Amino acid sequence: MRAFWTILLKELTLFMRSVGLVVAVLFFFLVDVYIVGNDIEIEPKNVSVGYVDYSNGGVLSKKILSHLHAPEFKKPIPFQSHEALSKAIFDKKIVVGLIFDPDFQKRYDAGGATQLNVLLDSTAATQSLLTLNYLQNIVLGFSSPKFPIELKIHKLFNQNSDTKKFMPLAELLSIMTLFGVILSASVFVKEKEQGTWDIMLLTPVDSRIIIFAKTTSQVLILFFLTMLSTGIDLFGIFDLPLNGSFAAYALMTLVFLYSIAGIGLFVAAVSNTIMEVAQWSVFLMMPIIFLSGAWTPIYSMNIYLQYLAYLSPLRYYIEGVESILFRGTPVEDLWLYFAGMTVIGAFLFMVGYRKIGKLF
Amino acid sequence: MLEVKNLTVRYGKKIAIKNATFNAHNKEIVGLIGADGAGKSSTLHAIAGVQRFEGEVVFNGYAYHSPAEAEPLKSQIALMPQGLGLVLYPDLSVKEHFEFFKRIRGVKDDPAYEERLLKMAGLYKFQDRLAKNLSGGMKQKLSLICTLLHRPKLLILDEPTTGVDPLSRRELWEILDETRHAQDIVILYSTAYMQEAQQMDKILLFDEGEIIAQGKAEELLKSAEPYTYEETSCDECFCFDKRCYSLKPLPVPHAKPTLEALFFINALKKGKKETRFQIKPKKVQTPPIIVEAKGLTKRFGDFVADDHIDLTLHAGEILGLLGANGAGKTTFIKMLLGLYPIDEGELWLLGKKIESYEDRIELKNYIGYMSQNFALYKDMTIKENMEYFGKLHELPSKTIAQKIEELSQGLGFAEYLDEFPTSLPMGINQRFSLATAILHEPVVLFLDEPTSGVDTIARAGFWKLLHELKRKWRISILITTHYMSEAEYCDRVVVLKEGKKIVDDTPQHLHELYPGLSFEEIFINFYKETK
Ligand SMILES: Nc1ncnc2c1ncn2[C@@H]1O[C@H](COP(=O)(O)OP(=O)(O)OP(=O)(O)O)[C@@H](O)[C@H]1O
Ligand SMILES: [Mg+2]
Repeated sequence: MRAFWTILLKELTLFMRSVGLVVAVLFFFLVDVYIVGNDIEIEPKNVSVGYVDYSNGGVLSKKILSHLHAPEFKKPIPFQSHEALSKAIFDKKIVVGLIFDPDFQKRYDAGGATQLNVLLDSTAATQSLLTLNYLQNIVLGFSSPKFPIELKIHKLFNQNSDTKKFMPLAELLSIMTLFGVILSASVFVKEKEQGTWDIMLLTPVDSRIIIFAKTTSQVLILFFLTMLSTGIDLFGIFDLPLNGSFAAYALMTLVFLYSIAGIGLFVAAVSNTIMEVAQWSVFLMMPIIFLSGAWTPIYSMNIYLQYLAYLSPLRYYIEGVESILFRGTPVEDLWLYFAGMTVIGAFLFMVGYRKIGKLF
Repeated sequence: MLEVKNLTVRYGKKIAIKNATFNAHNKEIVGLIGADGAGKSSTLHAIAGVQRFEGEVVFNGYAYHSPAEAEPLKSQIALMPQGLGLVLYPDLSVKEHFEFFKRIRGVKDDPAYEERLLKMAGLYKFQDRLAKNLSGGMKQKLSLICTLLHRPKLLILDEPTTGVDPLSRRELWEILDETRHAQDIVILYSTAYMQEAQQMDKILLFDEGEIIAQGKAEELLKSAEPYTYEETSCDECFCFDKRCYSLKPLPVPHAKPTLEALFFINALKKGKKETRFQIKPKKVQTPPIIVEAKGLTKRFGDFVADDHIDLTLHAGEILGLLGANGAGKTTFIKMLLGLYPIDEGELWLLGKKIESYEDRIELKNYIGYMSQNFALYKDMTIKENMEYFGKLHELPSKTIAQKIEELSQGLGFAEYLDEFPTSLPMGINQRFSLATAILHEPVVLFLDEPTSGVDTIARAGFWKLLHELKRKWRISILITTHYMSEAEYCDRVVVLKEGKKIVDDTPQHLHELYPGLSFEEIFINFYKETK
């Protein structure tokens, strides 16, 4: 049991220390849900950008910079060094800084996986986060021509609920799904990437405990984020009703997150780098969301797809949550959703667990 | 010609190197030696134009003071950073790496030279192998030949031979030597192998952020002569590799120093003492045979990495596993540990036949392992890392705190406990990986090149510690190394060549067979003899 807590705590600590990741998830769970829920396109305006190009004037860096133009951006200003740029941001002359590493182009040419360092003025939070989102879209357009990733935010619509209140909820659900897979796969894949996998295997801890502790850590993080988003965005800003039991909602969320983590385990087993995790997650997220009926009502789907739709854990979650929030269905009548999700969740978790267990 | 004037590198408040000043002429190979964290890498990075610095560097008449100013020179400079295969792409093959580096550097084809490089690195046969499937030393050699490919004018090599076997180290030297005779080039070369440094035109000795001596090897050796003695037992002195170093006269004859003497003498002058390890004796019940492997075999496709290897490790024995890069040492250890499935053969660990995952789990508390890239969690401080592994081994928190204190003092990394591994020199990381591996007081230790890239004093301390562990705990150790002089500290050595065992003997007996030869020469003999 001590081993379980030790691993859990370690993963929570490591998460809190990856500042970039924390900022990104907070952005998606809070700001993105807000933006999509309002059905507004907020574009960055007149943002000042600075950059340092260590990559020897590569084509790729030029291309990316050429996307940053008026009215969203001021003309990017070159800087001599990382430090000069950091200082300009500190002095509030620049909001967003880009650093192209010496091997930026090289790595892109080699395998398509390259990394762009972004410095943000965190005191100008909205501006810089919007820019980050915008940049992400530009950059993703470039990454890996074989498997173009699009992290674009989907405009969700649902003929079932013409109420505008459904939009932010649906967005939150897709973000939970996407990050659920990414985070729970990354805790494992990071060990592979950093070469700590072997040492992890040699600790005298049962593989079941390792897997369960690592997954639980991410489920807790996601649970916290979901509750934060529910409180601030759904109830606070969009004024969604809570006609049923909050405890049932929380419990259902937890079960849902575990079943998504099961998919994450599967992804972790087949990926060796975080890049692959990202590709798999986006790849898998589409059918899960599609089959959930968030975009198209299930009854208007092709009959085979209707059967397949029974397999999407998101389907039970959406219907369950809608019932709790909007319809105020009493707890004892929710058993069908719970049962469906538990069965699917247990199934997915077992499959993922088996798959990753083979690596131990 | 390269002139470095008052070069200073700071990281925040910390000064990595202060006022380094030296020259290097064309066709010269300049060696940088010194303890871990003495400032060699920072100096090299600054000169390569990838690290901010104060002061001035002039190369062939062009002066620069910052990475930006060094930009125009970048096409003439090549830097190979320290660390196993950092510049490589795991999913590209050896051949693809060549093509790739040729393309980005705009190098013309020169099949003869390319073939030469590949053969030197022993990669000629393995051109289609992906970088991630190469052994540690093979990765290192691949990075090295990729750096050499475009024939730079200023070649900066940061410990290029860490983890490289003795045969390839000689080959590398020949290539560098040939290159500089054929063209104008300045080579800066930091190394932990003193036999290599001895051959260089000029040596810079670094210590705690300063260059404390520079000159030819003979001059530096001369300065060490008065303090070098034959091995004896003494106080206030350091002993390693059959010699003792002392500032006070010792009642034994002087011995011929190697460059390693400089480190010890410098430490003595600074009032440092040899660390005494306080290891409490422990009564342990172990079977007489700790590891018994019979015909262990590992295949990767058609390639046989380990071919029917028999090996026995007795209780309280230090067994050295030697062999050239790619001979199958790491693969063998990984089979013993269960990190690779065994394709053929039988294995007993601590008297228990290993057949399944369950057989291993309870043995894990008795095993300590340090991997070749000694990776630990880089987002946790050294202390947090140690606490984490201590807890997973079910040690009480009090014991963990006590052990961390003890080991960090004993292994000399106490001042770094609250830092992250990525910000520390390689040698420090290695020490704390070892500390982590012995935290739970294992019965048997598997150490994969624990001393590669570690400075002499730390290596001397390290071997002291191993022998101390053996004496007090009767611990058994299986260790791999490319320092042939370290083989002398083993009770027995096993040599692998291309996946086959070619030697299994005691160092004493081998010396009797080949009188008058150093262990490195014996090793090379064996390698050349056996087909
Ligand atoms: N996954 C793999 N696929 C294919 N070949 C592999 C794989 N892993 C190792 N090899 C090959 O097996 C051989 C032995 O590798 P190993 O890592 O055991 O060498 P080593 O003796 O430890 O060498 P070094 O001294 O360089 O560390 C090498 O030729 C290596 O390329
Ligand atoms: Mg190895």
